[in-house]
Amino acid sequence: MKANLDLPSKLSLVFFLWVCAFTLPWTFQVGLCLLLVIARFAIPAFRPVSHRSAAAFSKFILYSITVALLVTCLNALFIRSGNVVATLLGFSFYEDGLLFGLRTASRLILLSFSVLMFFISTPLTVFIDYLQSKGLPQYLVLMLLLTLHFLDHLPSRIHQIFLAQQARGAPVDSGVLSRTRALLSILSPLVLSSIVESIERGTALELRGFLSRPVASRKPEDTETRVNLLTICFYFMSLVIIAYSIYRWLNV
Amino acid sequence: MPKPIRQRIADEMTGAALPFVAFCIALNLTAGQITAALKIPLYLDSIGTILVAVLVGPWSAIICGSAANLLAAAFGNPSMIFFIPVVIVIGAFTGFLARKGWFRKWYLVVIGGILQGVLAALVSAPISAYVFGGVMMAGTDFLVLYFRSVGNNLLNSVIYQGLASDPVDKLVSFLIVFFLTKNLPQRLLSRLHGAANVG
Repeated sequence: MKANLDLPSKLSLVFFLWVCAFTLPWTFQVGLCLLLVIARFAIPAFRPVSHRSAAAFSKFILYSITVALLVTCLNALFIRSGNVVATLLGFSFYEDGLLFGLRTASRLILLSFSVLMFFISTPLTVFIDYLQSKGLPQYLVLMLLLTLHFLDHLPSRIHQIFLAQQARGAPVDSGVLSRTRALLSILSPLVLSSIVESIERGTALELRGFLSRPVASRKPEDTETRVNLLTICFYFMSLVIIAYSIYRWLNV
Repeated sequence: MPKPIRQRIADEMTGAALPFVAFCIALNLTAGQITAALKIPLYLDSIGTILVAVLVGPWSAIICGSAANLLAAAFGNPSMIFFIPVVIVIGAFTGFLARKGWFRKWYLVVIGGILQGVLAALVSAPISAYVFGGVMMAGTDFLVLYFRSVGNNLLNSVIYQGLASDPVDKLVSFLIVFFLTKNLPQRLLSRLHGAANVG
């Protein structure tokens, strides 16, 4: 039995964190978020796979702090029930709103963190390969890989069309209605060119017999057949927390 | 005997459909770039899903929307993963309307867009309320707070916020898809599974 943090165990960790986000008090959730931040630097399996992922993580931390402050303050300000906790510049902050804001912010951040940690530390191609090994059809795998190709090219294509339409005098800077109509002048050439490209690619795939070829079943890799101790631990802890939450709910 | 879901998806994903669905997933993810460039206060993040639902079919639209949300989560917007049920409803409902011929007449498109917006608001409200406490890290959060401050409970506030913003967004998306498909040459449309939906 192995105990390294591979892809299935990372998925089980995400599941465990989702369970925690819905069952544990907000103070635990904040603690788990801090642990995840430490894990990103301390555990090799959680290191970002690219500079882009690392930047996304740093941006998300700053974003989370801003959101937590904003959500907590706004709820404390708008939900006017319970005692007044503080008054600042004539604005009163209420206890119930403050607690609701803290609970919401910590759950939102923990849920988002768990998903983000998984994706920044797992290359998409590895994840797609894992899904294929679990039975995802070959054409869906190709579709996801083609999406990555389009995602690389689409922003520059949109920018190019936008500049061209602007040069032709499309109303890209006038009123909201005119700008909404200008959307069509950008989307039309984009969709048209994509259909032409799709037909070319589709024809190429058909000529190669991709869509009619029987798919060879993949042999499960050696690592997949072994049980990972961490995966079992995370699922077991999740079940314990769920059972305890149900027990507490029934007694209340 | 009805075909299994896997077979229905495979039937739709023939020829040009596969790369086209991939393009529409990418379009869902980059639509924000177009609306930001034009400074339009709309999301239009399901325009690709609607396009697939009309030109390819409902099953492909469900795949398109789900994959777009999954990739959005991977690219730094993790909360999108929880809204996969909403895009499933959008794909299935739009595909159903398209098969019934609703994308052949503009007034049916208007009604369909509004219905879709209401449906999307109703499906997303419980997720937004119970999973995220009504906070979606967007400007519309202020609307939720406003509705709560005037005495509504959380779920109702989120539903009202959704009903205030989603129908407009979906109506514009439906109209854009309608005009786009009307202007496409028939010889290109005929290469896609759902060409008859707009004929």
